[in-house]
Amino acid sequence: MSSDIRKWFMKPHDKNAGAAKPSGTGTGAAAAKKPVLSIPEKPAPSSVSGSQDASARRKTSKYFAPKTEKDSDVTDKSLPKRKLHKSSDQLEDDSKPLAANRVLKAEEEDDDDDFVAPSKRKTPVKPPPSKKLKAASNDGDEDERMDEDAKTPSKAAGRGRGRGRGGRGAVHAKTATPDDDVGGGEDRMDEDAKTPSKSTARGRGRGRGGRGGGTAHGKTTGLDDDAEEDRMDEDDKTPSKAAGRGRGGRGAGSTPGGRGRGGGGRGFMNFGERKDPPHKGEKEVPEGAPDCLAGLTFVISGTLDSLEREEAGDVIKRYGGRVTGSISKKTNYLLADEDVGGVKSNKAKDLGVPFLTEDGLFDMIRKSKPAKPPSNKHENNSNSEKLQKSQMKSSPVKVEKRAVEQVSTMDKSIASKSEIASTNNQKAKVVDRGSLQWTEKYRPKVPNDIVGNQSMVKQLHDWLKSWEEQFLHPGQKGKGKKQTDGGAKKAVLLSGPPGIGKTTTAKVVSQMLGLQAIEVNASDSRGKADSKIEKGVGGSTSNSIKELISNATLNYSDNRTKKPKAVLIMDEVDGMSAGDRGGVADLIASIKISKIPIVCICNDRFSQKLKSLVNYCLLLNFRKPTKQQMGKRLMEIARKEGIQAQENVMEELAERVHGDIRMALNHLQYMSLSQSVVKYDDIRVRLNSSAKDEDISPFTAVDKLFGFNGGRLRMDERMDLSMSDPDLVPLIIQENYINYRPSAVGKDDSGVKRMNYLALAAESLADGDIVNVQIRRYRQWQLSQAACFASSIVPAALMHGNREVLEAGERNFNRFGGWLGKYSTTNKNKRLMEDVHSHILASQQANVDREALRLDYLTLLLRQLTGPLKTMPKDEAVQKVVEFMDTYCLTQEDFDTLVELSKFKGHPNPMDGIQPAVKSALTKAYKQGSSCRVIRSADQINIPGMKKTLKKRVAAILEPLDESLPEENGVASAEGDEDEASDAENDDELAPGDSKPKLDLQSDKKKGIQVHLDLKTNGNGSSAKKAPAKSKASGSAGKAVGGSAGKRKR
Amino acid sequence: MLWVDKHRPKTLDKVIVHEQVAQNLKKFVAEQDCPHLLFYGPPGSGKKTLIMALIKQMFGAGAEKVKMENKTWKIDTGTRTFDLELAMLSSSHHVEMNPSDAGFQDRYVVQEVIKEMAKSRPIDAKGKRAFKVLVLNEVDKLSREAQHSLRRTMEKYSASCRLILCCNSSSKVTEAVRSRCLNVRVNAPSEDQIVQVLEFIGKKENLQLPFGFAARIAAQSNRNLRRAILFFETCKVQQYPFSPNQVPPPLDWEQYVSEIATDILSEQSPKRLYSVRQKFYELLVNCIPPESILKKLLTELMKKLDADLKHEVCRWAAHYEHKMRLGSKAIFHLEAFVAKFMSIYKEFLVATFG
Repeated sequence: MSSDIRKWFMKPHDKNAGAAKPSGTGTGAAAAKKPVLSIPEKPAPSSVSGSQDASARRKTSKYFAPKTEKDSDVTDKSLPKRKLHKSSDQLEDDSKPLAANRVLKAEEEDDDDDFVAPSKRKTPVKPPPSKKLKAASNDGDEDERMDEDAKTPSKAAGRGRGRGRGGRGAVHAKTATPDDDVGGGEDRMDEDAKTPSKSTARGRGRGRGGRGGGTAHGKTTGLDDDAEEDRMDEDDKTPSKAAGRGRGGRGAGSTPGGRGRGGGGRGFMNFGERKDPPHKGEKEVPEGAPDCLAGLTFVISGTLDSLEREEAGDVIKRYGGRVTGSISKKTNYLLADEDVGGVKSNKAKDLGVPFLTEDGLFDMIRKSKPAKPPSNKHENNSNSEKLQKSQMKSSPVKVEKRAVEQVSTMDKSIASKSEIASTNNQKAKVVDRGSLQWTEKYRPKVPNDIVGNQSMVKQLHDWLKSWEEQFLHPGQKGKGKKQTDGGAKKAVLLSGPPGIGKTTTAKVVSQMLGLQAIEVNASDSRGKADSKIEKGVGGSTSNSIKELISNATLNYSDNRTKKPKAVLIMDEVDGMSAGDRGGVADLIASIKISKIPIVCICNDRFSQKLKSLVNYCLLLNFRKPTKQQMGKRLMEIARKEGIQAQENVMEELAERVHGDIRMALNHLQYMSLSQSVVKYDDIRVRLNSSAKDEDISPFTAVDKLFGFNGGRLRMDERMDLSMSDPDLVPLIIQENYINYRPSAVGKDDSGVKRMNYLALAAESLADGDIVNVQIRRYRQWQLSQAACFASSIVPAALMHGNREVLEAGERNFNRFGGWLGKYSTTNKNKRLMEDVHSHILASQQANVDREALRLDYLTLLLRQLTGPLKTMPKDEAVQKVVEFMDTYCLTQEDFDTLVELSKFKGHPNPMDGIQPAVKSALTKAYKQGSSCRVIRSADQINIPGMKKTLKKRVAAILEPLDESLPEENGVASAEGDEDEASDAENDDELAPGDSKPKLDLQSDKKKGIQVHLDLKTNGNGSSAKKAPAKSKASGSAGKAVGGSAGKRKR
Repeated sequence: MLWVDKHRPKTLDKVIVHEQVAQNLKKFVAEQDCPHLLFYGPPGSGKKTLIMALIKQMFGAGAEKVKMENKTWKIDTGTRTFDLELAMLSSSHHVEMNPSDAGFQDRYVVQEVIKEMAKSRPIDAKGKRAFKVLVLNEVDKLSREAQHSLRRTMEKYSASCRLILCCNSSSKVTEAVRSRCLNVRVNAPSEDQIVQVLEFIGKKENLQLPFGFAARIAAQSNRNLRRAILFFETCKVQQYPFSPNQVPPPLDWEQYVSEIATDILSEQSPKRLYSVRQKFYELLVNCIPPESILKKLLTELMKKLDADLKHEVCRWAAHYEHKMRLGSKAIFHLEAFVAKFMSIYKEFLVATFG
């Protein structure tokens, strides 16, 4: 139901946003104003206040658009009912039932989910109790959830949206909750939904809000809340992929016709463009006391009055607040300037999260400036107290625990996460800043120090531990082929982006197991062993690896108990190139014979170079640690180094370096040189410029270029995007540019303008192709920017806008460039065609070029081949067709090629109307004929570019003729006679009917078989004699056979 | 065997259409020598037939003992060596090949094959015909580099080798090469000539041709003799005796292209453009050369176009054909043409009919 309304609101807004806007903003803003403003006066201090607070707000709902009573019947429904309702809405939203299911599950698993260690509760982010909307007893849980919530920064947004979906589904049921005037659909606009059109969202919100308002009261069941929460948690835990999918499914909202939740891609283009803030840049952001928002959690929703969402987020973070993508119990404020009635606002009402306008936020900041105004509920001092407290509390027990950490504790992966700053501030200040690089200084010493990827660490540990038993059983020593169980691999391959601790993990783990780690990295020569290896180690340094792994003295001397065992760490294996010729192959060989475990490390597991290696290794893929995990570790280090910083600052740093903890530390160390307090803005300014480049897939690049905001990208950004894959991006753009409705066109009833834009874009793409030829054929690589400009940027700049579906049933995602596939099919067909062509040429009956063959001959050829099969009686037809094929030396394959090439989509198949029986009869007759068919010449010809092996075929053809081998000489002489006779007979006759061809099949070892086809007619003496001589020679060589003239005659 | 092959004239005397040209060529036969020749003319006009007849008459039966082989050349460019394979038809007197198949390495083929030919110069007791003939097809598709390398080797080895070049358009053969050859223009046969040929075949095949039937086929063949004969036989297969107003069925691809033209004219929208792209792909996959598609498409569009637009549309077609040759991905240019056409046509429709 709701989706219908959404559609109604969306379409008109999309088309003429201008027309619909005034009224929309008017009512919407006015209505929104009230509830929002009411917040400060309504402190809602107790846990019961949820409904009260909401009821106050409920009054405002009368400002909303006329209400429909439809939903009132669902008001008092609790969870099961809601589920039912959702599934009925399945059409609009496939993911809902799923989500609902999850709710139930999550509920059961509730306890299991909250696995965060208790110490967590003392995190400094805990908001002041006065602000709490829930009972104090819930505090701990809330914090945990929050942490869970935010654990995956990059995912957060997507998650928000995915959840939004479920949330929206829940709206009907939740109309019971009185807060509903701030309707659903809101979530869609959360910060990552790059381009939702504000007007649409608002329209939607209004519609729904009205309805919500109509359904007056209800109960905010705790059950519901919990369910929501849990679902959120569930969502958080699903990896980014799931989130992406949810998001993808979401895209369907804008296009009717369900696509479900399939497909990745970010689908920017599916969202309407978020409008600029109405008073953008008009207000001044107030100065406030530092950290005045510390400990508060905000969720931003909708369009703010003067700030872009990103700006608002920056402001909040600057003052120590934290911004999350979705509402949970821990959320302190929902920052929204108008009530658009989205999922977020619904949820906020459910949970009793107060609303805050932008002005309210500014006030808050401003008030903090002079002193601590009592009216403010979240004084910074209370916060700092809290902070202090948490630091004090940060358990000394922990420190101990860490000291005595043992192997057995490894699997407690959470334990390390929960380690917060274990040293207090005073101590930190004492720490002198040595010259040691921090990355070295704070390199983890024990596995639990490693940030994130604990399960990988554990797997590596287990693997190393069991390695010896597995591969070096006493008595089986030596060869490494005895993989006791199929899954066990002799080597391990750690992969993941740089700076997340792969090398460290390998070292630390082996150290812990008492293994001596021998590290070989790109700086060592790792080339293939040359033959001089026998000369000993001194003779050739190139094969230290082989030495290492096979030299028993290194590992197992006689008293092996005393000597430490070794493990070989092959770092940067994907960097094995140029200098290390054959390195990977050699490494594999080494793995096979190795007596010590080998740990390989690489960045890109899917690198072409490592394809073969991957089969021999246990694959452990390291992921980026989340920003929370990293933030904690960074905080810890910062404290030790005496740097003052907020945790959210550190998290920001972690986010900016994309999980590269080494880089983060380097930045931190660098900053520590000049300042002892690191603030949010410092991070922002510093890392904005030196942001780490991230790999971007061509699809994402195209999405961005074509996206609604494609027009706002800077030129260098566009360049970067289209250069992310200069081959694929233009192809994807070419494939999809037709699908976009250019936003630059504006009002365009007839479609003329759009057509003009299309023509321009197509022209530019064609230009790009020409430039590309220059680049490839003449190696003019300096033109690559021009190529990228013409083939990607110009079309994208012209066409960027909303994507629409042209074919029914198509999903609204960018297709992969179809050109590659078609090109390869074309080439394949060309080769087949060339096959046919050379057969026809070899038949000596026709001398046409390929084009004429395709354009002119093909129709008639096909008619001659298939016509009789359709009309004439079977035997007669088959005979006729086989005869025809023989005339032109066509094979069965050629027949198929000809049929294939004249198939057109939407046209009848030329083979229609031929009985299968006739077809098989043809095949049979053809095969039969082939035994006595002497000239199958063209079969043997190698067509350039065709790499098929002909061996089998040759054998098949030569077989039946082998019988004639002994009588070769006789035949040849007979031929000689015949030749003379025919010479006499037909002196000047050249008519083909009189020709008595004789052929030689000469085999040539290198070239397969060369066919010699002699048309012997009035050949003069010399040539006539030459031919038999030749056949004799070949006959005696036994490599090929010649046929007799009699056989050949047709 | 198809009529088009069956009734191909085997000697210069039997040529019906280009009698004048044949007479001139016969003089070479009499002399047992010839200069380099460049045959050019539209497809289906009889170039190949003339060339083969000339060679056969000049060398006699020796030229008919043809073998088809796939030859490999070792090419050493100085910086690298590589193998190049090319299929060729050869007899002891002539070699026929299609050097443009080698792509942009065609110039090596041209040089190597000529040099090799010079090495194995046939010895003739009478001192005559001490040369081989190299027939190069599709010279207009040779790269510029290959044509340049041709021009020197042509002179250098002229003692041992004669070139017969064959192409559709002499304008794509460089001036230098053209001036070294005797240019033989083989124009498209007139419709009367085609009718004459068809009637000749009809007589040989003992067929009754209704009045005007041959003329109709000739008109439809677009002055392409090969096509006319093929049409003729198609008609025979389709229905015999011929009905008075029988027309040959259209070629499969031409029919498809005209469907595309209808599509384009009936609706101009992104959606239609997309479906047209699919159809273009269909044609390209079936090995229809893009130039032919564009040409046919233009003729089809012209039929139904308002006179005001014809000039502009033609200009754009030429524009995109040119670009297509410069580029490598034909579909881009075909599509660009269609997009342009749609844009022009739509604008025109809106302006005219509102």
